[in-house]
Amino acid sequence: MSQTTLERVRPAGRPTPGTSGGRPRRRSGWWLLLAPILAFDALLFLTPLGKLVGSSFSDNAYQRVLSDPLVLRSLANTLTISLASTVVTVLLGYVIALVLWRSGTVMRVVLFAVVLLPFWTGILVKNFAWAVLLQDNGVVNSILQAIGLTDHPIELLHNRFAVIVGMVHCLLPYAVFPIFSSLASIDDRLALAARSLGAREISIFRRIILPLSAPGVSAAGLLVFIISTGFFITPVVMGGPGDMMIANQIDYYARQLTDFSGAAALAVVLTVLVSILVAVYQRVLKAGGQHEAL
Amino acid sequence: MTTSVISADTTPGAATAARGSIELRQVRKTYGDVVAVDELDLVVQPGEFVTLLGPSGSGKTTTMMMVAGFEEHTSGSVLIDGKPVDALPPRERNLGVVFQNYALFPHMNARENVEFALRMRKIPRAERRERAEAALERVGLGGLGGRRPRQLSGGQQQRVALARSLVFNPAALLLDEPMAALDKRLREHMQEEIKTLQKSLGISVLFVTHDQDEAMAMSDRIVVMKDGRIVQSGPPEEVYAHPLTDWVASFLGDTNLVPCTVLERHGSEAVVDLGGLGIGRVQDRGVVGERYAVSIRPEHLKFRPGAPEENGGTGTMVSSTNLGATIRHRITAGGHELQLRELSSESTGRSGAAGEVHVGWDAANAQLLVLEG
Repeated sequence: MSQTTLERVRPAGRPTPGTSGGRPRRRSGWWLLLAPILAFDALLFLTPLGKLVGSSFSDNAYQRVLSDPLVLRSLANTLTISLASTVVTVLLGYVIALVLWRSGTVMRVVLFAVVLLPFWTGILVKNFAWAVLLQDNGVVNSILQAIGLTDHPIELLHNRFAVIVGMVHCLLPYAVFPIFSSLASIDDRLALAARSLGAREISIFRRIILPLSAPGVSAAGLLVFIISTGFFITPVVMGGPGDMMIANQIDYYARQLTDFSGAAALAVVLTVLVSILVAVYQRVLKAGGQHEAL
Repeated sequence: MTTSVISADTTPGAATAARGSIELRQVRKTYGDVVAVDELDLVVQPGEFVTLLGPSGSGKTTTMMMVAGFEEHTSGSVLIDGKPVDALPPRERNLGVVFQNYALFPHMNARENVEFALRMRKIPRAERRERAEAALERVGLGGLGGRRPRQLSGGQQQRVALARSLVFNPAALLLDEPMAALDKRLREHMQEEIKTLQKSLGISVLFVTHDQDEAMAMSDRIVVMKDGRIVQSGPPEEVYAHPLTDWVASFLGDTNLVPCTVLERHGSEAVVDLGGLGIGRVQDRGVVGERYAVSIRPEHLKFRPGAPEENGGTGTMVSSTNLGATIRHRITAGGHELQLRELSSESTGRSGAAGEVHVGWDAANAQLLVLEG
């Protein structure tokens, strides 16, 4: 009886050898925790993906889709629209993140809600709302005419501008949060120190805040760009015939032409293209970081 | 030289025009209803090392932040080099500030950190570099300018912070608990280094700490703060030897406080009733009939061969702890727990001895203190 009590007390006071800090090193089998998600992914993600890749190599699918001028045009559209949306989203997101970071508790809660609202709203709802705002007799045109900037409605809808507006609205939260979290991790005293050393606010931003939030900006850029390349509804609702993106082509091949191997080939082309761009982006960032370290 | 409790050895109006002086006149800071700093008068003379010492919440850091310009005072005036700076933003106050965590810019190397202030002053690249290297050399970091803060040890980071705050020849240096993050040995080493550096540069320093040993070791003058007010101000030895209140005595070093009542006065001597410890004599002021505390530092309490008639009593040993150089005994006598500290080398081998002991002190070593709580 007393023996067992002693045995039980000992590890707490003095860790027995082989354990670090009294915590048992029972590591084997930890991967079993991952089993459910691995099984889920294998069944519902990897298997269909494998089938898709497999079917893309049948019927000369690549040759067929890559010689389609509409496909090439959509690929170019996808890259330019995604790039433009990413730049605008990250810039706007940075401004919003800065305001969020600098605002008081109440203001912060309100702003967070405003930023999150589009997050919780369906993409169709958001896009149609924008379509209503941007149409010829919509709110934006009415205001422009009322303040005398124009005497006839400006064509704001069914063009590339509208697509980018719609996409930026959907993408903003993905830029705001990474940037905000990198801003929030900056020690407030750095700004105080800079101030005591003679820095003006603009120098503090340029030399301290901006470089220290760069990781958040690059993460936001990557995230937003990858999501952008998959946009499908926005070009349909808000774009013109010349603004179709690659996802629209995949849809066209699958549903209008019922050319599933062609659709699969397009999907693979998009995935490979984006992967290459991401790899280049990260290579460039790394080189930039190393240069800065010198 | 004894200083008054309310306005600690300041001479408002006598603005010191010499370079490096800091003066606070009736400076007050409130947050809503809470008074953080209350009508503070303080002068740091050129070349003087002044420490604001107090527990957390005493207003010492707020005071420093107001001098630096990071906090705006509610009323009163701050003067640097004899000129009011109340309307000046921090960047125009020309003060070097070292923060508790150093606040080094993590994306810049040590030299770029040091160069920052010079860059802000639009000093040409070559001169900037030269001065930064010289400043790093001065704090013993020559050759380490290319390292990022995270590649430097805590002590090295602090040196970078010092170099960064000194490189632009500031009027004075403000140090906010700069040694708090260092281990004891390194802390003592840095204390000496900072003190040496300060002396060789002849720069005025306003130093904030809650560490009494640090304050004793470094300061020309200690300003003890409590609840947003200055309780006492003076050279370290004086504040230690002649605390004004029981609170100061117990905050600055260990002490035995025995509540007492003044029975009568004979010239400069007062006879006090120490309750369970009988009658005591103190060389001090005091009003007959009033209640005070008698403070006896543990090193002044001595073992006596027999029961003393006054200034002491008989009690029992509670514990003895050998601290290396000294031995600390705890003794209960007359309803009080007393601390007696003796040098190990002079110990009479009493450690661990239980039973009756006689302790006493010399009247010259007992202080009559105002009760503050």
